[in-house]
Amino acid sequence: MNNWTFSWNGLKTVVGLELRQRARSKRWIAALIAWMLFIGGITALIYFSIFQMATESGTKDPWGTVAPVSFGVITYFVLGMGLVIAPAFTATSINGDRNQSTLATIQATPLSALEIVLGKLIAAWGVAGIFMVAALPFIAISMIIGQNWAVSLWQVLVCFLVVCLEVAVVCGIGLGMSALFSRPAGSAVMTYLAVVALTIISALLLAFLSPFVTAMEPYRSYDQAWEEDTGESLTQVNPETGRTEPQCRWSSYESYTYHMERIWWVVAVNPFVIVADAAPLPPGASDDLGNYVSSSDDPLALLRAGVRSMAEYRPNTWDTCIDYYDYYDEYSLYQRHIAADGTVTITTKKDPNTVVYTSPVKEVPLQAGPPVWPWGLGFNILLGFFFFWLAVRRLSIPYKKLPKGTRVA
Amino acid sequence: MIPDSACLPGIKAQGVKRYFGAVRAVDGIDFTAPTGAVTALIGPNGSGKTTLLLILAGLLQPDSGTAEVAGFDVARQNRQVRQKVGWMPDVFGTWDALTCAEILATFGQAYGLPNPAAKDRAFELLEYLYLTEFAKAPARVLSRGQKQRLGLARALVHDPEVLLLDEPASGLDPRSRIELRQILRDLAQRGKTVFVSSHVLSELEEVYDHAVFLSQGRTVDATAADQPTQQRGWRLDAADPVSLRVFLDNADIPYTQTPSGTEVSVQLAGYDSAIALIRAAVNANVPLHTVAPIAGKLEETYLALNEERI
Repeated sequence: MNNWTFSWNGLKTVVGLELRQRARSKRWIAALIAWMLFIGGITALIYFSIFQMATESGTKDPWGTVAPVSFGVITYFVLGMGLVIAPAFTATSINGDRNQSTLATIQATPLSALEIVLGKLIAAWGVAGIFMVAALPFIAISMIIGQNWAVSLWQVLVCFLVVCLEVAVVCGIGLGMSALFSRPAGSAVMTYLAVVALTIISALLLAFLSPFVTAMEPYRSYDQAWEEDTGESLTQVNPETGRTEPQCRWSSYESYTYHMERIWWVVAVNPFVIVADAAPLPPGASDDLGNYVSSSDDPLALLRAGVRSMAEYRPNTWDTCIDYYDYYDEYSLYQRHIAADGTVTITTKKDPNTVVYTSPVKEVPLQAGPPVWPWGLGFNILLGFFFFWLAVRRLSIPYKKLPKGTRVA
Repeated sequence: MIPDSACLPGIKAQGVKRYFGAVRAVDGIDFTAPTGAVTALIGPNGSGKTTLLLILAGLLQPDSGTAEVAGFDVARQNRQVRQKVGWMPDVFGTWDALTCAEILATFGQAYGLPNPAAKDRAFELLEYLYLTEFAKAPARVLSRGQKQRLGLARALVHDPEVLLLDEPASGLDPRSRIELRQILRDLAQRGKTVFVSSHVLSELEEVYDHAVFLSQGRTVDATAADQPTQQRGWRLDAADPVSLRVFLDNADIPYTQTPSGTEVSVQLAGYDSAIALIRAAVNANVPLHTVAPIAGKLEETYLALNEERI
């Protein structure tokens, strides 16, 4: 009712007051310049180190590799910095005003609690947004460096938007904390803890939960057979090629298996996972994510593939026999083919119709699959809304109960 | 003809209570403050003055009882109350980075004034409170008294019907106090309800029309404390101090002599005793030129109320 009324004029008043109070000073401009120099320096370092690595590994087109890799690393970096600076704009906003005795005079005007909190959120998000926009050119540079638009405008825009939304979520959390705790130091610590919980703790939680989803499970593998008495490997002569090849057979073991598909969603709330998962892939890459990751080293796709492969349960059946034609193929005699149904066959290089080996295990490529990020981002936005709602509740007047240790004015 | 609104009390409180845990900050308050008058709120530290003002400003919900401000209930019609009330807290925080004019204009906007009108109003108020030279200065450079005046300007920005002032005179120099008195009188004459709490009783003495006394969170019937038989100190002085002292000795009235010399003070019970003393002194040819109560009426009542504290 009373505390949830909204008017544009009220919102404009609070946003104007907040921007003037917090963002007017020459120091602020200086901070922005320092920020750009900092991001620029780190960006340059990332470009040159990745270029160096690419040239050393003998890549023919080092700049082509540099573009997606640096784009991913810089996006992660800007997201990380955004999550670090966002609490600074909001985590002491409400209790700081209360300590300076400016909050009650604002509350005593017809401005509603909603207008006050929303005004603070928009002003803080706007200021943090300027820092994000200042970092945008450094993300966008990778678009120009990469050949054939290896990084597209679409990728840059989507990643930037998701980063900005994550910053808004942290701004909301900070406002809630600053309404909840009477001391600015307390709310600042709690906001940073919330950021750490979303990023680092969620990853640690996944690691620490994994022992609880392990089980001894049957494990079948198609291996080279050996003589029981002598331990000698058994071979046979391939009638197609006339070469001596291993003789293979099925064997069964018991093995510890991690059922990550039961707990992988713990990291779905991680902002880094959300950005990685939301980042658009180049055309064709989504059918075989694993192949794209190994060919491009794109760190966004790498994280995305990691999460996807955890989410997908794969039966414990392996073909190690195929390595003889594939991995240990010293003279490059053979060629590997994967059919649409996942059947893997080996042919000679000379004649692709001469099948020398058919794997008994089908290989299903890792697909980009249904997106994970809407769930993670949705959860984060709900979390931000919850803390925002909490802040409005805490500023609702007339106060019935006063939180411990707080004064009205 | 008197308009209807003039008959409405600006503030009406009935059985208002507000506890903070075990602390009974406000524990039964009944009073009315009429429009067009200055009503003083008097009570010792911790008697619940600030809490009462917070309730009337619409910031605190009373635990029980009702309070109406400008005809609106503070709990049920909170927004209307805030629209009508100008509240000046005892501590006025400022926005360091904003200039005085910007602070006032921002508050004007918060009360729904369009931007150019809010700016005009800001400069009008700065002039009214002699702060024009600080219009473009940040509020942090103001002295305590100047800040206090800015706080009053802020409370006046929307031309409120009811003014709630918490210790407005603290930190003001004598000249500013006189100006504050004039402002309060001026506002009352324009039909506003002015409700002002202060410790500086001598300030209120010359400006108040009604008084509400608070003690331990309750309103106290001030007329009970103002009994005619109450002993009060009176100050006497005569052109011939010796004849005055001789007269008092003969009449068997105990007196104390002030260190400065000529003045003496006596304890009298009510006005009747004072009239009798003056008549007797004149008959005895004492050249009496000063007969005055030592303390103001408010101070007397205040001290009478406070005796329970000791």
